[in-house]
Amino acid sequence: MRAVLPRRASRTAGPQSARKTSKVPPLRGVVPFLLFLCLWQLVGTDDSVFYPRPSSWLQALSLLSRQGVLWPATWSTLTTLALSMVVATLVGAAVGYLVGRSPPADRALLPTLEFLRATPAAAVVPVFLVFMGFGRDMAITVVTFASVWPILLNTRAGARALNPVLMDSARSLHLGPWARITKIVIPALMPSIFLGVRVAAPVAVVMTLLVEFIVQFYGVGSLIAAAQRDYASAAVYGLVVVAGIFGLGVNSMVALVESFCLRHHGPGSGRR
Amino acid sequence: MTSIRRINGPGLMVAALLLVLWQALIGSGLATIEYLPAPASIARAIWSLAAQGQIFPELAHTLGVALLAWAIAAVIGLSLGLLLGCSPFAWRHTMASIELLRSMPSVAFVPVSLLLFGFSVKMELALAVYIAQWLILVNTVDGVRGVTPQLLEVARMLRMSRLERTVKIVLPAAMPVMLVGLRLGLTVSLVMAVVSEMICNPAGLGYQLVFEQRALQTDRMFAYLAVIGALGILLNAALLLVARLIPGVERRGGLAA
Repeated sequence: MRAVLPRRASRTAGPQSARKTSKVPPLRGVVPFLLFLCLWQLVGTDDSVFYPRPSSWLQALSLLSRQGVLWPATWSTLTTLALSMVVATLVGAAVGYLVGRSPPADRALLPTLEFLRATPAAAVVPVFLVFMGFGRDMAITVVTFASVWPILLNTRAGARALNPVLMDSARSLHLGPWARITKIVIPALMPSIFLGVRVAAPVAVVMTLLVEFIVQFYGVGSLIAAAQRDYASAAVYGLVVVAGIFGLGVNSMVALVESFCLRHHGPGSGRR
Repeated sequence: MTSIRRINGPGLMVAALLLVLWQALIGSGLATIEYLPAPASIARAIWSLAAQGQIFPELAHTLGVALLAWAIAAVIGLSLGLLLGCSPFAWRHTMASIELLRSMPSVAFVPVSLLLFGFSVKMELALAVYIAQWLILVNTVDGVRGVTPQLLEVARMLRMSRLERTVKIVLPAAMPVMLVGLRLGLTVSLVMAVVSEMICNPAGLGYQLVFEQRALQTDRMFAYLAVIGALGILLNAALLLVARLIPGVERRGGLAA
C-alpha cells in the first residue's frame, strides 16, 4: 500500500503537519469501499441505466476486450502517458536547473513561468487542437505542457537551495561539465525533481484522458466517450475502473522509480 | 508568492517584452503563424465581447457553478475531515477507501456524471463537488491530525470539553492546512466546471472556448482562455486575501504552496 499511495507531505503545508501525517493509513480502511461494492452487487441489476452492478462492469470490459478495442486503447493511453512524462521530466529538470542556478534568469523568468503554470491546463487543449490538429503528437505535447510546470518549478527551487559547498568541491576536484552534472548536480537535485514528478503524474493521467475524450480517436478516453454516447453504462463504469487503475498504477510506478533512483544515485547513497 | 511590496520589476519587464515581441512579429505581419492572433487583436476580442455584453452571462454561469460547488464541497469536506481527523478509529477504518477513490482521475467521472444527470447544470455541479471535496477533506484530516500533541495536552490540563477543545485548540491550529485544501478545492472546482462545459454541458465559458475553437475564431478563443485564466488567478487571490484576515494564520506559517 505504501507504494500505491502518493506521499502526503508534498501536498500539505505547515511545518507541524509533516510528522504525523506521513503515516500511511492501514489497509483495512478499504473495507467500507469493498462493502459498498458488495452491497451494490447485491441490490443492483445488470440492465439498470444509472447503476449497473459491478459484475456487469466486468462483463462489459471483457466484451470490449473480445472486440479487440480495449488493449490497443490501453496501449495508446499508456504510451502517451509515458512519453509525455519522460519529456516533461527531462525538459522540466533541465530548464528548472538552468533557471534556478542563475539568479538573473530566475528573477527575469519567474513571473512568466508562474503565469504559464497558473493557466488551467484543461482550457489550453483547444489552443493546441487549432495549431496541431488531432494527432497523437498533439496529445503528447498537451500532456507534456500540463505536467512540466511542477517538475520545472520544483527543480528550480532545488537548484536554488543547492549547497554551494557541493559546487565548490566539484570545482576543486577539477570535474568537467559533464562529470559535474552527472556526479554532483543530478544526485543532489533528484529529490526535488521527484517531488515535481509526483505532483505531475496525476496531472498527466487526467490530461491524457481529457485529450482522448475530446479527440475521440484513440486511447481509453475515447472508449469512455463512445460508451457514454451509446448509454452503455456498464462499460462506462468499467472503463472508469480502468482509468482508476491507471491513476494508481502511475503513482506507484513513480514511487518505485523514485525509490530505485534515490537508493542508487541519491544523496547519501554511499557512492563515494 | 509574497506581499505586494516585493514586486519583481525585471521579471514583469520580461513578460511585457515577450508580449511586445509577439505583437511586433505577428501584428506587423513580419511573421505569420496560421491562426495565431496578435495580442492586440485578442485584447480587441475581449473588449468587443465585453462591450456587446456577450461574455457576462457565460462568466456568471461558470463562476456561479464553481462557487456553489466549492461551497457544497467545503461543507462536506470540512465536516467529514474534522470527524476523521478527530477520531483515530474512523480514520483507520475509512482513510484507505478515501485515498483509493481520491486517486482516481477526475476526468473519468465526467461520463458518469453525464449518465446520472444528463446535459444540465446539475451534472457540472455534481462533478465539481465530487472532485473538490476530496482535496478539502484530505487536507482537513491532515491539518487536524497534524496538531501538535503539546497543544492537546494543554487542552486536557485545562479540562476543556470536547467541543471547547475542537473550537479553541484544534481548529485554529489546523487552519493553515485546511486553508490550503480550500484554495486547491476552489481552483479544482473552477477547472472541473470549465472541463464539463468543454466536453458536455453546452453553457458557460468552457463551451464558448470550444465553440470558438471549432469556428476557428482564434482571437475569441484566446480571449476566452485569458478570461478563464484571469478568473482562476482572481479567485485564488481573493481567497488569499480573505484568509489573511483570519487572525494568526500568517504567524503560523500557513498559506504556503
